[in-house]
Amino acid sequence: MTFWIVLAGMVAVTFGSRYAGLALRADLPAFWVRFLHFVPVSVFAALVTPSLEGGLGEGEIRLVGAVVTVLAAWRTKSLGISIAAGMVAFWLLRIPF
Amino acid sequence: MENGRRTAFARGFLAVMPLWLGVVPFGIVYAVIARDAGLSVVETQALSLFVFAGSAQFSAAGLFATGASGVAIVLTTFLLNVRHVLYGLSLGRRMTLDGWRRPTAAYFLTDEVFGVVAAKPSPTFPFLLGAELSLFLVWNLATLGGAFLGAAIPDPAKLGLDLVFPLAFLALLVPLVRTRAELLVAVASGILAYAIAQATTSGGIPIVVTGVAGSLLGAWLTRGRPGGEQRLEDAIREVA
Repeated sequence: MTFWIVLAGMVAVTFGSRYAGLALRADLPAFWVRFLHFVPVSVFAALVTPSLEGGLGEGEIRLVGAVVTVLAAWRTKSLGISIAAGMVAFWLLRIPF
Repeated sequence: MENGRRTAFARGFLAVMPLWLGVVPFGIVYAVIARDAGLSVVETQALSLFVFAGSAQFSAAGLFATGASGVAIVLTTFLLNVRHVLYGLSLGRRMTLDGWRRPTAAYFLTDEVFGVVAAKPSPTFPFLLGAELSLFLVWNLATLGGAFLGAAIPDPAKLGLDLVFPLAFLALLVPLVRTRAELLVAVASGILAYAIAQATTSGGIPIVVTGVAGSLLGAWLTRGRPGGEQRLEDAIREVA
């Protein structure tokens, strides 16, 4: 039930944003155009750090996986390859030697 | 007339075909992550059908997994999607959309379609709608495929699959960081979100607060640079 209320809210703000631009005929101040440019950078970075450590005391090897993903994303720009590379590095380090 | 209209629709539909290559894996990964976060196949698909915004769906899936409040999820969605106002402002100036055409064009509007249509000298509504529905169809088919793929993965927690969330956002983030200001905003946002997350129990508040603070920092860092169209062109190349 909660999911569908959240979904309705997501639809409202998403459709609202898409419709508002088409309906309005005005210019956005340059400051807010630049603000919007930085939103994905800021939000994605904010989504990374709080959940990187994990709850199982595997912080170090998860961090190694993250570094591998950054390098892969930088070289390939491919979402799938970058995630896979980081996960494989993490799983390999997880094997108790 | 009817034939000419259909042709413009078909041309729009085909114009975004090269983008399918990017949309399909993105949609599959989204759906796997959403299923991993505990959403059902129907819920995973509903987000693609009704919200139809890749990065917002990704973040929502991640936030559902951390038990974030609904308000935080909606605010994050708003923060990520409010850039569509820019696309609408630009499109509205270049073509006339009246009656049912305006809400229809708005519902299916995405970064990719805006990019393709913005590059056309004189876009028409049928062309726009063809391009929009093309991506909508492929995004939803990729979601459906990924949703069933995600269901086939046994015991995600034991496998450490929750690591996929931060890795996915890192992989989305890296291509966006091209300037010193963007790097600074990314690093500062990462540190700030981590610090706030230590102090709160909500999974969503750090994201919303950091999103606003980080974007303000970015806008401030780039003050005195040419605004307007130049930055709008940059915004087009953001994520879906």
